[in-house]
Amino acid sequence: MALFGSLFCRLVLGLVIAFLFLPILIVLTVSFSSSAVFAFPPPGFSLRWYASLGKADSMLQAVWLSTQIAALSTAISLVLGTLCAIAITRGMIPGAKAVATFMASPLMLPGLVLGIAFLQAARDFGLRDTYSTLLIAHVVITMPFIMRTVLASLSLFDFAMVDAARMLGRSYPAALWTVLVPNILPGFVSGGLFAFIASFDNYPVSIFLVDVRTKTLPIQLLNQVEMSPDPTVAAISALLILGTIAALIVCDRLVGLKRMASI
Amino acid sequence: MSQQATALPPAAEAQHEPGYLAVSNVTKRFGAATVLDSLSLSVGRAEFVSLLGPSGCGKTTLLRLIAGLLAPDQGAIEVGGRDLTRVAAHRRNIGVVFQNYALFPHLTVAENIAYGLRAKGVPKGEQAKKVADALGLVRMEAFADRAVTALSGGQQQRIAVARAVVVEPSLLLLDEPFSALDRKLRETMQIELRHILRNLGITSIFVTHDQDEALVMSDRIAVMNEGRIEHLGTPSEVYARPKSLYTMEFVGQSSRIGGVVTGGRDGIVEIDTPFGLVRAPGHFLTGSKVVVGVRPEAIAAGEGPAGEYNTVRGTVAEVIYFGSRTLLHFRTAREGDRLHVELNRLPDTVAPGVEMTVRWRLDDSRVFPAPGGADR
Repeated sequence: MALFGSLFCRLVLGLVIAFLFLPILIVLTVSFSSSAVFAFPPPGFSLRWYASLGKADSMLQAVWLSTQIAALSTAISLVLGTLCAIAITRGMIPGAKAVATFMASPLMLPGLVLGIAFLQAARDFGLRDTYSTLLIAHVVITMPFIMRTVLASLSLFDFAMVDAARMLGRSYPAALWTVLVPNILPGFVSGGLFAFIASFDNYPVSIFLVDVRTKTLPIQLLNQVEMSPDPTVAAISALLILGTIAALIVCDRLVGLKRMASI
Repeated sequence: MSQQATALPPAAEAQHEPGYLAVSNVTKRFGAATVLDSLSLSVGRAEFVSLLGPSGCGKTTLLRLIAGLLAPDQGAIEVGGRDLTRVAAHRRNIGVVFQNYALFPHLTVAENIAYGLRAKGVPKGEQAKKVADALGLVRMEAFADRAVTALSGGQQQRIAVARAVVVEPSLLLLDEPFSALDRKLRETMQIELRHILRNLGITSIFVTHDQDEALVMSDRIAVMNEGRIEHLGTPSEVYARPKSLYTMEFVGQSSRIGGVVTGGRDGIVEIDTPFGLVRAPGHFLTGSKVVVGVRPEAIAAGEGPAGEYNTVRGTVAEVIYFGSRTLLHFRTAREGDRLHVELNRLPDTVAPGVEMTVRWRLDDSRVFPAPGGADR
């Protein structure tokens, strides 16, 4: 009976893993296909779709734009979100709980609603620059991820350490930088990673804000699939998977995935 | 360590240059609550002063005001003649040992100690030498490269002390530094810390709610109550000649006997109490309600000569055995007040219900006005 149970568990585990990983494997395989259509299994193998990436200017521009927006919005959220989280944790502002919930609320709203709201707001404020509008919207999108992990990290942080650093001759900002930041680094890294990904693959908000010349990667990818459904998109997806794995390895070296996961 | 304690310089008060730390009329309010009410305190150079009081008496607030982690609503704080009232915490050069030590877990022991030196821009080579000296001071040389999270409570405390004194602060503040230690270790560390700080000649303010700690460590004790200092004096003054009933009851054990003054002369008042007529030194109007306080160890079994002693008769209510001493709760036929009597050697006959006579010297009784005019 115990043997059967154990076998059954292993079977379910295997199926779940297969369910999660097969699509990725299929994309990886197709990216090396020699066929011009999105066919599985591929009739033969080649690197032609990777080579064609070099000529896909609009695609590379979209990758560059998305990377910029994701990195900048994550950085801005890290700074603002951490300062806000400190104020909330230390009870420096009235209604701290409500503020914490409010800062996390974009995560609970449908992206479509946010997108329409940003479009309307940008018009009303006369903000015509697509890049700035995208950046502001993405700060709002990434903020909940930062707030959640930083608040969790701060709840375990002893603020007497900041006082100790001040009494040892560091100003308040320098005390935060030399004592608070290194101690909640795992929270920054895991929150930052989630925030970066949330911004990088955001579709429903960005779709309302992009214009013809300024397109983020998810939107450009979907365009490409609609217009010329060849394995170029598979090649770019494969590169993104590679990039993600590289990022995870760096994070592991930096703070350890275990510490990140425990936040 | 205990043998070192006896080698301490006796009664260093004479050398303390007065007014090194001067807290003048400091008031601090949090919302509607006044936590410190126009409090003043003067501490001499190299003096060790304890702020002793229950939680909520304002002792930690006073410590944080001196540190600069809080700003006073009124009043001034000076150290060594320099007005620090408006000076930022990180420019005050005041060391603090925090309750839970607040060591930096991302740094090693040596890096923790070097933190303040780095902040002050001490050159690298000098840093290493000072860190080594500080580690030697607290006898933790072997632990320089350990993670602070791998240390025991007592070791962490040593590092916290080393980190605070290595920058040669003008004043050291200690916020209940022993509360996280178990009792045995606490007693050892108290004596060792006192020894270290006296040798350094550093002026120290020590916050505690533990009267034994305050008595053991201090040159002087400030007994605090509701944002005011009730009594500032040497440990023996505070213990043996408390200025208020509050001080008497907060520091050490005591018996209180309520009564009404019926007369008196030559600085001795006669008080009618449930134990009969009790005489004690003091000046009170006839008819005033008072409380007589007596330390348990001042009371002995048996009668004494009437001129110098109070002798009362009563029933043993309870016998509490502590090993080296025994505490008796002693009451009269009239219900109400109890006497706490401490005996080093217990007569065989003493047991609950037994009648006995006890005595104490007139000089050992202190008389205070009854709190709030209560009928006692």
